[in-house]
Amino acid sequence: MNAKLYSNELARELDLERYLAEQWRFFETLYIRKFMGGLVSSAGLGYKLSLPIIGKVLRHEVENMIHSESKNRNPIRADGHFGQVVPLEDAKLIFANLAVEPIIENYCMCRAMQKGVKEVCCFNFGLLSGIIEKLPRFIPKNTKFRLDREEAIARLEQHNRSGKVATVWFQPVPYINAICSCETPQCGGLRLTNDFGLKVVYKGEYLIRLDLDNCQGCKLCVPMCQFGALRYSPTLKRVLVDDTKCFGCGLCRHACNFDALHLVPREEAPGLKGHY
Amino acid sequence: MPRTKITIDYSKCGDGVGIDPRDCGKCLNVCDLAVLICHETLGVPQDPIDPQTWRVSALWWDLCSRCMKCVEACPQRAISVTWHGFARPVR
Repeated sequence: MNAKLYSNELARELDLERYLAEQWRFFETLYIRKFMGGLVSSAGLGYKLSLPIIGKVLRHEVENMIHSESKNRNPIRADGHFGQVVPLEDAKLIFANLAVEPIIENYCMCRAMQKGVKEVCCFNFGLLSGIIEKLPRFIPKNTKFRLDREEAIARLEQHNRSGKVATVWFQPVPYINAICSCETPQCGGLRLTNDFGLKVVYKGEYLIRLDLDNCQGCKLCVPMCQFGALRYSPTLKRVLVDDTKCFGCGLCRHACNFDALHLVPREEAPGLKGHY
Repeated sequence: MPRTKITIDYSKCGDGVGIDPRDCGKCLNVCDLAVLICHETLGVPQDPIDPQTWRVSALWWDLCSRCMKCVEACPQRAISVTWHGFARPVR
């Protein structure tokens, strides 16, 4: 947790105002734009990535785009825009200490684009919130969208407990200015991560650990997992955790009535240390 | 691998006829795999308020399971899903 990555000074240093304004103005056209010199669009990306040779080149190019730190990044392709899953506790810490005010809560664009549902659940802060406020289609009507730190924490907790994964975003790297409450499959980031194996949303710094003595096999946690890491075993009469799929979001804990699920740092599993 | 072809008739829905897909959104809502996407068209003067510039596209057609729910859900009958070869899911 580095406060500098959240600061307005960093945003100014990198001259990001124009970048962010462009990115958000053309947000909905992100996926249909052609990249790689006008050769490829994201349509049928999974098919394209599965092609021999071409697929490998494409994957390399797309990964470069997502993690781009170059000076001439293209805002309408959202170059350098990627994030990481955070558990509720860490997201709260970010809001309490690191996020630069003003904090706003606006419509989730992914959900509006892919599900036709307008839902207020994306938090933006710092330089970005001023830019989004100028775009009326992102701003919820009839509800308060400018939040103070306590309100933002309360709203985030509400989203998280209802089953939405908290993710923190570079936009663009290294400037952090958003916490989203994502849901698979309509989240653009989780779609690219889960379905196409691109590194858009990194796994969190934690893993879930099941307390075998406490688990009663009630299965309530299983539907909370958006990554398919939990399964109920009728033989063992308890839940099984697939560590390789666990993103460490901690949502399953909210459903457990027996205190059987806990987050532990990823380092505690040597096989998964460093695997994001 | 048989490729799914999802065709959307823009003379029935979208920027061609001035039906704003953001108001309808039935196809988006019914697709559990979120194959379809509602977006602004390119190549026209960008105006986020104008319904004429919005349309639905089958962006992630490679993830389509051919359940045909969008075809049934569309009040304009604008969507068709076709494929050649064996009828098995792509993924």
